Amino acid sequence: MTAYLQVTRLDHRFGGLHALQDCSFTIAQGRVTCLVGPNGAGKTTIFNVITGFLQPDEGSVAFRDRALDRLRPQAIVRAGIARTFQNLRLFTDLTALDNVMIGIAGQFGEEPVGAIFRPLHTARAQMRRRREALATLDHVGLADRANEVVRNLSYGEQKLLTVARVLATGAELLLLDEPASGLSAGALDAVMALLRRLQDEGKTLLVVEHNTRVVQQIADEVLFLHQGHLMAQGTPERIISDPALAEIYFGGAL
Amino acid sequence: MDFLYSYIVLAAIYVLLGLSTNLLVGIAGIFSVSQAAVFGVGAYLVAHFMMAADPLSFLPSLAIAAACCIALNILVTLPSLRVSGDYFVVTSFGIQLLATAVFTNWAQGTGGANGLPGIPPPDVFGLPIETTAQYMLLCAATSALGCLCFFLIMRAPFGRLLRAIREDETAVAAAGKNVLRAKVSAAALAGAFAGTAGGLYATFLSFIDPSSFDLDASILLLTMVVVGGARTLAGSIIGPFLLLALPQVLTLVEIPTTIAAAARQLIYGVLLIVFMLFRPQGLAGERL
Amino acid sequence: MLALQLLVTGLVTGCALGVVAISFSLVYATTRIFHVAHAGIYTLGGYLAWSLTTWRVPLLLAFAVPVAVCAVLGALLQSQLYARLARRRATHLVVLIASLGTLAVIQNIIAAVYTPNILQFPLDWSSRMVAFGPVRLNWTQLLTIVVSLAAYAGTMWFAHRTILGKRIRAVASNPMLADITRLQPQSVYIYVIAIASALVCLPGILVPLDLGLQPYNGVTPLLTATIAMIAGGVGSITGAFVLSVAIAVLQNLSLLVMPGEWSIGVTFFIFVIFMLFRPTGLFAAAR
Repeated sequence: MTAYLQVTRLDHRFGGLHALQDCSFTIAQGRVTCLVGPNGAGKTTIFNVITGFLQPDEGSVAFRDRALDRLRPQAIVRAGIARTFQNLRLFTDLTALDNVMIGIAGQFGEEPVGAIFRPLHTARAQMRRRREALATLDHVGLADRANEVVRNLSYGEQKLLTVARVLATGAELLLLDEPASGLSAGALDAVMALLRRLQDEGKTLLVVEHNTRVVQQIADEVLFLHQGHLMAQGTPERIISDPALAEIYFGGAL
Repeated sequence: MDFLYSYIVLAAIYVLLGLSTNLLVGIAGIFSVSQAAVFGVGAYLVAHFMMAADPLSFLPSLAIAAACCIALNILVTLPSLRVSGDYFVVTSFGIQLLATAVFTNWAQGTGGANGLPGIPPPDVFGLPIETTAQYMLLCAATSALGCLCFFLIMRAPFGRLLRAIREDETAVAAAGKNVLRAKVSAAALAGAFAGTAGGLYATFLSFIDPSSFDLDASILLLTMVVVGGARTLAGSIIGPFLLLALPQVLTLVEIPTTIAAAARQLIYGVLLIVFMLFRPQGLAGERL
Repeated sequence: MLALQLLVTGLVTGCALGVVAISFSLVYATTRIFHVAHAGIYTLGGYLAWSLTTWRVPLLLAFAVPVAVCAVLGALLQSQLYARLARRRATHLVVLIASLGTLAVIQNIIAAVYTPNILQFPLDWSSRMVAFGPVRLNWTQLLTIVVSLAAYAGTMWFAHRTILGKRIRAVASNPMLADITRLQPQSVYIYVIAIASALVCLPGILVPLDLGLQPYNGVTPLLTATIAMIAGGVGSITGAFVLSVAIAVLQNLSLLVMPGEWSIGVTFFIFVIFMLFRPTGLFAAAR
């Protein structure tokens, strides 16, 4: 299997903090890879580098053999990589449907000239896009909440909505930042089922996750990160049963 | 009757300016106290072309002025896309003060502090606009056209994009959208509105001077949006009609003419504070 | 010779501007409020001093009372306006508009009470000249230098040597953390704005002593001071002061090549250059 996403020798410092140190790994297409490690291991920093929100001091990222260096975040989404945020970052004053529609690429009437001079075409194009967005919402199980303002959704529903928004972009590689954290048992089941469905549909997932039970259930592969460096890579069973890694993970956390 | 007509003419012009300010401040979230400067550039440009040795007629002058104001507003707004919000406050104040300095001191271009008299009345496709009633029709039609544009973009994907940008630019970029391009587009549209308003204003009054385009004028525009309400068409219409009625109301109260201007600006300031404290959504808008 | 005179006058103006800049910087670095109303407090100080002077109040008192009044007004602004807005989780834009409204209110009350016309202090010593070799300064300008440098030194001492000063710096460096560690940012903010308002009153009195008073004259100095603060690095007292002096000197020297009406253009040009090449400011690291 060729490298789908290749991360090569990333290095980044925030002032005195060495957030990423010579960090390299690859991700295979169609698999669920979990990124684990103690707090401050650099997991979110990796996400920020891959998605173009942060320029690393050193190193590069390639997606399907195409270098992503110095691309802006929106260009990286168009290249096929989209992310969620740990703190969700939904548009809370907009409806669930509008949040999803923001993600849809290449809409007519997204600039003023088209919107003003071809209003009918804009409206018709919007109707089609709305159906697409509704289908995406249905896919994550939020179809009945489409016209609800996001502020009024439960936390679990908001988490599902973040996934719907990245799905709407049409990206194939989805970077999910703690999709299961802070959820009730019922909401957790919904998210887990959704992640499995996504994998069945051929999406590739890179997931930051703390909950080891979740990792065991969904991951094909686990990347263990410590102090900005890749410590170990392997199946969930191998990583979780490694006493040295457990020491770092729980020793560092406690 | 003429009195009512000229109130409507001015209100219609300020509706265009309200839309312009609303696009920038309310929708794109770019704080601006320099919209009056762009308004002024539009007014002076139209006056200039219509009074040139080889004069242009009204519509071509207006088109050129609007185009220049689009370019100017993009230029003025670009720093806001590079630097953080607070630094742009400085830029905006700076541009307003600089514009006032140019209007006041560049005597051969703008007539300086004495202003520019004798701007000819407009004509539309050969039809001269002379009476106040005709002016009212012209301004109301233009302003209605502006409102239609605003309505169309706000219900198009562009409007949704702008609302999303107001909330969280990072999330918009993460959803694959170009924040910069959207903001520049909003600024361009705001420039077109302000420039057009300037042209109508100059030809209606036939006299312009720097005092109509100073910092106080920018504050008035901001007050109109704040009182009317941000991000809605209704807000952009209500604000100008209410605030332009205020000076008329003030004439009913016995205030010495020497302090009338100060009293008016004082009320605008009070309105800004009161609305921010108690009703940040204005009379008919959404929360700022 | 003209250049030398302009240079020295620039230094004087720069010192006064420096105090405006450090006072604004105190507020901005701590509260992150873009306190535009500061320009109104600057103007108000001058007018109060003018009234007291015309009523023949002893000079020291005529200058001290406005300082106290402005401090109280600043504290009121924070506790009655900014703190309320913060409790309502108002956005940055809303706070800014409220501050702009406050500026409009202060300026126009002044214009209504004192008329918009220029007023001169009825003091004969203020414009008396003293010659230092080829350079001539008046007593006001000398006083401005002394008071401004004292204000700068006092602020530095206060920020680094007093408990309140240290608390302010702690809150400035991390308001969120300060919130949980019982440093009580909101109460610190009241002190900060009160102190800054008292400070800005000094140039607010001294500059008009030389050049006269006008109700709308506060905006340009505040804008210039803000530019100095940004160019010097937000949070750096020394940076704000030094850059103020530098900008004022450049402005004055520009008079050699262009008329004074365009000096706002010069200031603004400096700002644009900084924004393009060093947006974090010269003294950014030297907190």
